[in-house]
Amino acid sequence: MNAKLKETILNPIFKGNPITVLVLGICSSLAVTVTLKGALVMALSVIVVCGISSLILSLLRNTIPGRVRIIVQLVVVAMMVILVDQILKSFEATYAIDKQLSVYIGLIITNCIVMGRIEAFALGNKPWPSFLDGVANGAGYGLILLIVAFFRELLGSGTLFGIDILNRFGYEPNNLVILPPFALILLGCIVWVQRSIQKDLQEK
Amino acid sequence: MNTNNNVYTVLYTALIVVVVAALLAFVSQSLKGRQDANEKAETISQMLTAAQFGTKAEFQKMGNAAVLEKYASEIDKAYTVNVAGEKVADLSLDEVFSPKLLKRQNYNIKGGANATGEPELPVFEFKDGTTVVPIYGAGLWGPVWGYVAFEKGSSTIKGAYFDHESETAGLGAKIKDDPAFQAAFAGKQAAFDKAPVFQIVKGAEGTLADNQIDAITGATMTSQGLDAAINTWFAAYAKYFLGNVSQPERNECKCPSCPCEDCPCDCHCTPGQDGCHCPGCECPDCNGNMKHKEE
Repeated sequence: MNAKLKETILNPIFKGNPITVLVLGICSSLAVTVTLKGALVMALSVIVVCGISSLILSLLRNTIPGRVRIIVQLVVVAMMVILVDQILKSFEATYAIDKQLSVYIGLIITNCIVMGRIEAFALGNKPWPSFLDGVANGAGYGLILLIVAFFRELLGSGTLFGIDILNRFGYEPNNLVILPPFALILLGCIVWVQRSIQKDLQEK
Repeated sequence: MNTNNNVYTVLYTALIVVVVAALLAFVSQSLKGRQDANEKAETISQMLTAAQFGTKAEFQKMGNAAVLEKYASEIDKAYTVNVAGEKVADLSLDEVFSPKLLKRQNYNIKGGANATGEPELPVFEFKDGTTVVPIYGAGLWGPVWGYVAFEKGSSTIKGAYFDHESETAGLGAKIKDDPAFQAAFAGKQAAFDKAPVFQIVKGAEGTLADNQIDAITGATMTSQGLDAAINTWFAAYAKYFLGNVSQPERNECKCPSCPCEDCPCDCHCTPGQDGCHCPGCECPDCNGNMKHKEE
């Protein structure tokens, strides 16, 4: 694997993370991070949508008429999101999670990360790097989602993946953690940690 | 190739839309069976939750097959009634009213351009006498629906379960997520002879009437939507319930010299025999005592 491809994959995970650095996809990261299970399904959904949409649009990139390029992108992204939603609804194991995530699966269409990566990367690059870029950005998004969900489920419900961790020691679940504002506070903390490690992100 | 001329642009977009639509239609059709099965199990688990056979979380853990089994073992009969309270048709074990069907009946109850006919309102009677009826209406962002269980032969609410499509998490979504809100329905009365039949109001514990419960703070629109949904449907069921509730099992005996006291059923005089017997009871002179039947 050459250095450029490696950069394509690793950059979105940390240095150019879509949530903490590009500050995209904040909305859903507040909504779906109450439980780890929900966050995991959401993360996987975004990875699939982002990766395959990038792949398809990169394959089509030389044929897409410039004036309707955003519409074509939207059609493809919407198609992928509906497919993911339909598949989640079809399996017993994921049906309940799909219900819990409700509108947020559908709202992946409007997730700026997906459109942002297609517009910025997939339309100007070959299919394979585009696919990797989409997957990596989805993964970068998912990583933050899981970190936030880890703390919110642990402190808010005393469980992890629904398994009791803290409650058996008499922990009283904290309701504030369940509410969306706490996700924003956590997100702020993550950005703080990242910027103190990665000094070049700090504004002068 | 010039990708910017008009004909190309129009053809290209048309083609991509047709391809995507065909693909989605195909996927939707091929997955429909699975999705319907999931939805059916979900609907049943909501009804069973309302009827207090368990909690929603328990049913979720059980899995679809076990939920269907539980339903089959607990259900006594299911049928539809019209607004006059008359029975229309029997429902098979497979016919549970999912939100999609409720939506259609909701149009029928309200009448207007979307109505497709007379309302057919489902009633689910369980073996322990619990009667479950659905409700459906509009919340703030999308539909809200639910299932309300009544005690045997009465207008006392035993339990309720509500669900929604897209109410605000942490506020309107509490109709589903807050166990305290659903628990508040238990023990309340639906006043089928009054209007409104039931009310979700802003009020404190202690000041609430028998047919009132406290609304959700911060979710006024959802509370009002649910209130409207409950009243629309309960009003449609009113005649059915009034017919059933005002005729408790202790019917007045029509025999001139009926020996049974507190006859638990419609007692009938049998010519040539003294006393009365209950329909379905084989012994000629049980005097309305249903225990005879078991003996």
